[in-house]
Amino acid sequence: MLVLHEPHPNPLLKGEGNRHIMKSKPKILILKTDGINCDEELSFAFSLAGGQPEYLHINELRKKPSRLLDYQILALAGGFSYGDDIASGKILAAEMTSFFSDTIQKFIQRKDTLTIGICNGFQVLVRTGLLPFAKVGSMDVTLANNNSGHLECRWIKLEIETNNTSPFLSNLGGKQVSYQVAHGEGRFFTDEKTLKKVEDENLVSLRYVDDKGKVTQSYPANPNGSLNSIAGITDPTGRIFGLMPHPERFVLKEQHPNWRRLNGEGPHGLPIFQNAVKYVKQA
Amino acid sequence: MIQTVRVINKNENEDLRGKGILSELASTKVSNVRSVRVYRLEGVSPTLADKLAQKLLSEDINQAYALNKPVINGGQKVEIAYKPGVMNPEVASIIKAARDLGIKLMAADASWEYYFYGKTKKEEIVSLAQQLNLLNQTVEYIVDDEPKTLLIKPSKGHTAIIPLRKMSEEELMTLSKDKLFLNLEEMKVVQNYFQKMRRDPTDCELETLAQTWSEHCAHKTFKAELIVDGKKKEPLIKRLQKEALKHDKNIVSAFVDNSGVLEFYDGMSICGKVETHNSPSAIEPYGGAMTGSGGVFRDILGTGLGGKTIASTDMFCFAPVDLKPDNLPPGCLPPEYLLKRVVTGVRDYGNRMGIPTNNGSVHFHPDFRAKPTIIVGAYGTIPTRKAKKRKAKVGEIVVAIGGKTGRDGIHGATFSSGEMSHRTISVNSSAVQIGNAIEEKRMFDALIEARDLDLIASIQDCGAGGFSSAIGEMGETIGVKVDLAKAPLKYQGLSPWEIWISESQERMVVAVDKTKLKKFIVLCDKYNVETAVLGKFDGSKKLRVYYGKELVCNLDMKFLHHGLPQRTMTARRPENKTLELINQSSLSLPPKQESRKKYWIHDQVGDENKTRAGTGNLLSEQEWVKILQQVVSHGNVCSKEPIIRQYDHTVQGTNVMPPFAGLSLQGPMDAAVVRPLLNKPYGMIISHGLNPVLNNFDAYLGSLWAGVEALANYVSVGGDYKQAGLINNYIWPFPDEESLWTLDRSVDAVVDIMKAFKIPVISGKDSLSSTYRGPEGEVIKIPPVLCMSVFGKIPDVSRTITTDFKQSGSAVYLIGQQDVKAMAGSVYAEVSGLNDSHVPTNDLQLLTKVFANIHHNIKTGSLLACHDISEGGLITTLFEMCVGGELGVAIDLSNKEQLDYSLFNETVGCFVVEVESKAKGEKLFKNIPHTFLGNTTMGQLISIKQNKKSVFHVEVEKLKKSWQKPMVSLFGTV
Repeated sequence: MLVLHEPHPNPLLKGEGNRHIMKSKPKILILKTDGINCDEELSFAFSLAGGQPEYLHINELRKKPSRLLDYQILALAGGFSYGDDIASGKILAAEMTSFFSDTIQKFIQRKDTLTIGICNGFQVLVRTGLLPFAKVGSMDVTLANNNSGHLECRWIKLEIETNNTSPFLSNLGGKQVSYQVAHGEGRFFTDEKTLKKVEDENLVSLRYVDDKGKVTQSYPANPNGSLNSIAGITDPTGRIFGLMPHPERFVLKEQHPNWRRLNGEGPHGLPIFQNAVKYVKQA
Repeated sequence: MIQTVRVINKNENEDLRGKGILSELASTKVSNVRSVRVYRLEGVSPTLADKLAQKLLSEDINQAYALNKPVINGGQKVEIAYKPGVMNPEVASIIKAARDLGIKLMAADASWEYYFYGKTKKEEIVSLAQQLNLLNQTVEYIVDDEPKTLLIKPSKGHTAIIPLRKMSEEELMTLSKDKLFLNLEEMKVVQNYFQKMRRDPTDCELETLAQTWSEHCAHKTFKAELIVDGKKKEPLIKRLQKEALKHDKNIVSAFVDNSGVLEFYDGMSICGKVETHNSPSAIEPYGGAMTGSGGVFRDILGTGLGGKTIASTDMFCFAPVDLKPDNLPPGCLPPEYLLKRVVTGVRDYGNRMGIPTNNGSVHFHPDFRAKPTIIVGAYGTIPTRKAKKRKAKVGEIVVAIGGKTGRDGIHGATFSSGEMSHRTISVNSSAVQIGNAIEEKRMFDALIEARDLDLIASIQDCGAGGFSSAIGEMGETIGVKVDLAKAPLKYQGLSPWEIWISESQERMVVAVDKTKLKKFIVLCDKYNVETAVLGKFDGSKKLRVYYGKELVCNLDMKFLHHGLPQRTMTARRPENKTLELINQSSLSLPPKQESRKKYWIHDQVGDENKTRAGTGNLLSEQEWVKILQQVVSHGNVCSKEPIIRQYDHTVQGTNVMPPFAGLSLQGPMDAAVVRPLLNKPYGMIISHGLNPVLNNFDAYLGSLWAGVEALANYVSVGGDYKQAGLINNYIWPFPDEESLWTLDRSVDAVVDIMKAFKIPVISGKDSLSSTYRGPEGEVIKIPPVLCMSVFGKIPDVSRTITTDFKQSGSAVYLIGQQDVKAMAGSVYAEVSGLNDSHVPTNDLQLLTKVFANIHHNIKTGSLLACHDISEGGLITTLFEMCVGGELGVAIDLSNKEQLDYSLFNETVGCFVVEVESKAKGEKLFKNIPHTFLGNTTMGQLISIKQNKKSVFHVEVEKLKKSWQKPMVSLFGTV
């Protein structure tokens, strides 16, 4: 699946946009608020994958929370929501749990919906309690300061877990991918009991691996010092997915620094979004 | 009543802040350091504060908190907080989040406590905190007594009348000094105006004039009539503009807006702006760098009817970080502190904005010890039909949007125009502030949407000079009436003139049509962006500023904008050129003292080596390798990767050539290539050139060097120089006769570059305050710097190449003509002690052919790799290509030149290229100067022969360690 000969060359290049296709496209809500700044590449990734992304500012959603239910995918983009003041994603998480608890519960219980949080979005999902156990209002794991003490912007290798059955990852289990990380607070951390539960229930979705493809704790291949090299997790249904690396920044071949050397290899991030769109279309 | 919440990491190993401080401490008396986050909450009960502590301020998984008591026992405590009145960006978030949780706070603050354990006394801790630069006293203080309230007490601001009309010349200059920064002639013009008006000015009027007429805003030197060595010459700006407009095929807008705009594709344009932020960064590097970034980003937004900022660049010059403390002039901050804090400032602002930092450089020279040079660039996109500057029209409403106005940043414009002195820090501390990137980000989001909905009639950013500059410029031809009492303030008590000229960040002024005002305000509300209607453009041709009902400023627009007399300035060739060179070289010697941190500038060259190096008589292989290690570990050559890794350089998904790439991802690239529109193949290339030394030898040749280097970087990745636009930034000492002479030569060089390449300069800035005056009158002239930036378009991003060698067995060529004997200012000259005053020169006509050839061959896919030669010379270029490709190279130089000169010469406009075979290379390059050097090899070894005689071998890995070490030692990681 990953070594693909551009099965889906950028449709926007070909001026795609027929009305009848638009209709069948699943609607994706990209939540905007102060400091979110990876929304455009996320929106682009979803449209490339055949979805219909729309921006909605949280202030509009606060006026009418039920608007969330018009969508099939809730996507929380990266950035620095409210400056990551106090802790990354904290203030947006507090806002979401204060105003949308019930609506979010309704949304995630619907089997035809997916939720994804990337980087800051992952931090928000963890701080709302949506990950790892879909318990809004609790907080069971954290994404703490990188061990290096600062933001790390680099390309790293990851392995996609085989045991996680998340729709986001279908047909990807066991694959190794290159994504970029760009975060200062991404160290997955929790107590032993919770860690065991996360592992036992196969909630881990991606782990950092080294050059040789082995799961690693060593820096910089594991850029933040995450426990068990965890880079991403899902909830038990697999329909809520959060990860620190940025698959949305590798949906075009040329986004990789060494694309000139990647012969015939397709962009590693795109399949995640294609899977998501495919799933909600069929669900 | 204040409730104090203290939060600590449960596991001391995860207290990175505490551990970081401990690792920097040389004192063995301290055994441990812990950091504690302190939140002060005003206007809530202890119960509610406890709720906030649990739900918002701490996380039980890895943190503990305490309410109104210490959270950790023992140790000596020092608390560092922002001074009252300095905006703490975190406070607004705390108040908002508390409100979302149903708790209303009157005020809040956040600070840090540090606990030092071991055998230390309280007094020692305070001095330790200062030594470690845990606080910058310009904006922070050590909290001795817990504050009783966080609310700043209002005190009514007022307007004073200045009895200007009767002042003597001496009194006029006393008034000007440290405040207005106008010269006597200008002060007299102002005096004369008010004598005619038969009244004395208000403080607000004087401040408005001083700001509008400041060097920073009015560019008096660039507009001056010049007498150079007794001969009249046209003003600098005229010469630049005249030549530029001859090459206008891509120009959408040049010299008239906040950035220069070039035609892109499909009805889109691209724009670029480069600024300096030296003065604020010299006294508060973190805040200075942040506001530098914030300001230049707003320049893009303030272009036309609103540009979208999509990329940024950063170029810095500092003194070497191991500068001996004794060599630091009074009132100046140590270079290591400046470098680290500037990087942190750029990081924190750019990353939060989500604007990728795509290109940049860091340079070192001891003469920057009195003032660093901090250059920030921003690039953007804008629909062509909205790219033209529009002046406001009569009847349009003046709306201020974004951040609130405070006392911060007062006198920034006039301060930037003044010289740095040992008094600068204490006198001008109000010129500095801490940026709030999130405030700016939401304003950008709102304004781009407003632009697309056609709600903006005209837009201007509040940069230097604040409202005064923005509103004054927008209403220049028609007049405007504003009421400052309507401006949202950070705290009460500001005098009207302070509100008017404050440079508080993250603000813009927008002219909005009456009928669209409501829609505009609703849109801004959606993005949590504050708006304030300040007044109206009224056709009066006057600038009338009220505070409520009180008229505090009433000036004729014509006098304000055209009353400044054109200066006539004389420039004179420095009489004793040799003397200047001697001064220069005595200062540029690397500091001799053995620093505690040995890592920095290479090991000193032994005396014995020094005499041999530079004469071409380096004998042993070890000597060659040692000198090479010294060159690649020099601050101007060494890898800056640890800095780049802290900047998010690929956010927005637009980067298709990052600063480092290659198999190892550690090979440096020459320029940034971005794809502004993700669904199109079009590319924008961004590069720059700067040399911190050469202008001291020869300002004309040094400036040519910078311009050619910028273009070579641009061409080297696949850029077509014919499509490029230039941005020139002059960072020069105060323009006395000699400095003005060198500035004039630099401008001549830029004009000649435009002529030769037939491309325009479309934007630029001058900062003529790189002079330091010490307490005893000693003067340090910071090296004059021309930073040339280049940007332009290519139709297809896939037609670009990187610097890393791609395969073994390829043919490696040197393209271009080296001026081999000219070694002045080279890194090799510095490390070997070589004394040469010849700056390498280029034949510009020949270069146009070389550039066209390289571009053509990249476009057709004929080259495998290309890297231009600059600091560190040919051998450094080859080495970097090996690093990226994880390959080696075997070179045989078949010439009679002195080998060290050939390898280390820094003539720009030369390239090393990799092609499949020699046969192919000979064909591709037959019409331009080319030298076959050798082949790439499998093992990571660089081996050098001259005329078939082996000279030395060195492992790439060994050099790579030296090359990476300086910045790794400073920033901790690769």
